Amino acid sequence: MANQGGNNIKLGVFVLAGLFVLILSFYMIGKNHNLFGSDFRIKARFSNLNGLMEGNNVLFAGIQAGTVKSIELINDTTIEVTLLIDNKVRSYIHKNAVAAIGTEGLMGNKIVNILPSKTISPKVEEGDLLAAQKMVNTDEMLQTLSKTNNNIAIISDAIKGTVLRINSSALLDLLNDKSIGVSLKSSLKNINKATANANEITYGLNNMVTQIKKGKGGAGVLLSDTAFAGNLQDAVLKIKLASGNANKLTLQLNSLVGNLNQELIHGKGPLNTLLRDSVMANNLKGSMDNIQKGTDGFNQNMEALKHNFLFRGYFKNLEKAQKKKNAVSQ
Amino acid sequence: MALTGSIREFFDETGSVARFTGRFFSTGMKPRFEIKELLSQCYIIGYKSLPLVALTGFIMGLVLTMQLRPSLVDYGVESQLPVMVGIAIVREIGPVITALIFAGKIASSIGAELGSMKVTEQIDAMEVSGTNPFKYLVATRVLATTLMLPVLTMMGDAISLFGAYIGVNIRSVTSFHLFFTQVFHSLSFGDFSPAFIKTFFFGFAVGMIGCYKGYNSSKGTRGVGNSANSAVVLASVLIFIIDLLAVQLTDLLGLN
Amino acid sequence: MATATNTVSKDVPDNSKDSPVIVVEHVYKQFGSNLVLRDFNLVVNKEENVVVLGKSGSGKSVLIKCIIGLLKPDSGNIMVFGENVSELNHDDLDKIRTKIGFLFQGNALYDSMTVRENLEFPLRRHWIGYSQKQVDALVIEALENVGLAHTVNMMPEELSGGMLKRVALARTMILKPDVILYDEPTTGLDPVTAREIDNLIIKLQKKYHTSSIIITHDMHCVKNTADRVALLLDGKCYSEGKYEDFENSTDKNIKQFFE
Repeated sequence: MANQGGNNIKLGVFVLAGLFVLILSFYMIGKNHNLFGSDFRIKARFSNLNGLMEGNNVLFAGIQAGTVKSIELINDTTIEVTLLIDNKVRSYIHKNAVAAIGTEGLMGNKIVNILPSKTISPKVEEGDLLAAQKMVNTDEMLQTLSKTNNNIAIISDAIKGTVLRINSSALLDLLNDKSIGVSLKSSLKNINKATANANEITYGLNNMVTQIKKGKGGAGVLLSDTAFAGNLQDAVLKIKLASGNANKLTLQLNSLVGNLNQELIHGKGPLNTLLRDSVMANNLKGSMDNIQKGTDGFNQNMEALKHNFLFRGYFKNLEKAQKKKNAVSQ
Repeated sequence: MALTGSIREFFDETGSVARFTGRFFSTGMKPRFEIKELLSQCYIIGYKSLPLVALTGFIMGLVLTMQLRPSLVDYGVESQLPVMVGIAIVREIGPVITALIFAGKIASSIGAELGSMKVTEQIDAMEVSGTNPFKYLVATRVLATTLMLPVLTMMGDAISLFGAYIGVNIRSVTSFHLFFTQVFHSLSFGDFSPAFIKTFFFGFAVGMIGCYKGYNSSKGTRGVGNSANSAVVLASVLIFIIDLLAVQLTDLLGLN
Repeated sequence: MATATNTVSKDVPDNSKDSPVIVVEHVYKQFGSNLVLRDFNLVVNKEENVVVLGKSGSGKSVLIKCIIGLLKPDSGNIMVFGENVSELNHDDLDKIRTKIGFLFQGNALYDSMTVRENLEFPLRRHWIGYSQKQVDALVIEALENVGLAHTVNMMPEELSGGMLKRVALARTMILKPDVILYDEPTTGLDPVTAREIDNLIIKLQKKYHTSSIIITHDMHCVKNTADRVALLLDGKCYSEGKYEDFENSTDKNIKQFFE
């Protein structure tokens, strides 16, 4: 009988322990999904949810604040999302806060970020509609990059045409203006820089594409989509083409500047007469300005690409390798 | 001819199991419950199975974690290891492994125990002593397995997760708190509830099959051995079938 | 038929003749295609030991299992204390069973329980509501009857075959039943132990004034215990009479039991 009692105590402890784990897990799950705390609702309208689902988390300034309660299609360009927000953060959200759809980590779940605004506004109330911010996603980013590359190709074509025309028209002889030479020189420098950058990027992208093909690295997973990789390769080819063009252009400009310098030094040439025309000179100046702007823009693009989070790591590595190389060569 | 014979046998067996189950609800659930015997069975079936379930659960959590790590490292999402393991354990591995271990231990012991009681006329002796052996032996055991397996599964899950925590910490370092925050952050009631509810059915199946096989054991040592063996086999198969039904049901109900 | 050949010696003739304890009438029982009992008839009077003799597989065990309600006859009536066993519901059957003891061939002691728990089982199970003191007294009394009071806290597996049989007998007797059904009480025991069991059966029968049906093919047991013998052959009561009648019989079917 005593043994029976002892067994019953053990059984009781066992069952209670099981129940404890059960209740604890219910509580732990419930904590994350706002099932037990009190909460309120606010809404936001988006044109594209990018895969946001019911039950996804809502962050306020990066803190877990609630979940997506429901998603409702209002019309072909508007989707209303109802957010269930914990009462604890209620007093911190203002009416002018902005809701944006983001991603948890590089490949995680979609989340809704509520971003506080700096201007003063009354506190949010039940059922309020927050302003929505269009999110930047990596897909769009890379599409823009591709467009930029196309633009670079067009620009370098245009530069090439201009240079050819300048060369063939031989009007340059008449340019006594030293400033043109200077600006040409700086253009040249810029183009040089741009070319170097383009080369670097091309090399990098090339490498990256091979890595991507092998499916390595964080970006590799993201980009294991072959269509996407194809796009990127296209883009790389175009950049290559552009940099090739830019190279040619540099050579031509170099010889051109050499000619020009000589002619300026020697002060002779058969074409003086033609370039008396100041309009022509102004045009030419404008062209040069455009070239400079174009190359500046290209440079900026390349810098932007360098700083893009996807490629940042790679360029850093490259830099390190470069430093190492330098150190070794010294 | 032989084929139709075995098909007949199969249907016959299915029918008898169904009838036996029906008897559990019609006879076993009527008053004058054998509370004391139920408690003692709960102790034997539940408490005494805990060490086994704990051991297998722990190893399962540890091994699963170590097996998953290389793939996740390849994909560069090693940080998601607790999430993956947590979902795998809570949704599927925990309930099914626990139920299978449970079936191996309990269905066979019930099958052998009732089988030998049947063979040595102990069941008849009970009947003669004014005890409904169905209530005293079958109902108590089936109820005990039905109630104890969910408890065991909960404990098994917890221990499995602890094993997984150690598995994560073999190659990298994560805090206990972070691990459990990550695990529970990824879990929802849709993950947890169906997995928990199905363990009741697993337990019911294990108890029912063990009792059926034992209660209908044929004479002799061989008969008892056969009933113990076929109880484990049938109970394990039933666990998988119930699992299949459960996943489809939860899918239909939109809980997935 | 049964009453016609009734040549039994009785201790209390008038009383017993008027109130037969068990009446088996025209019982048929079939397992698959095997017709085990065909129109079987038997009457057991008060305080009478009836031995049912038969070869193995002749349906002796089936008969007493029908009497106690473990099996149901396909047709025919079995009256115990005036009630038709096969028509009783479970609760009434339980009530009747408190008055019937059943000694199983294999003892059927619960091997997961001690001797004491084995003996307590029927006491507690019939929901009679004895106090712990009464239960203890009954257990000790029953064990003293079979001379095994010292085994009270042992497990069945610690006991020898003869002791097990005696413990089983004690369990059968503990409710002081009016009728005891013995299913081959001496089978599997050595002759010396078998005689001990025989004597125990007689002793307890005298002490508690019970009636019994003893099923056996052991002629020594028959000789020691029988007031009347019934031979079960081909599902029927082939012959009925005193042991001496059987011993002197020239019938081929009877003689084979004495060879």
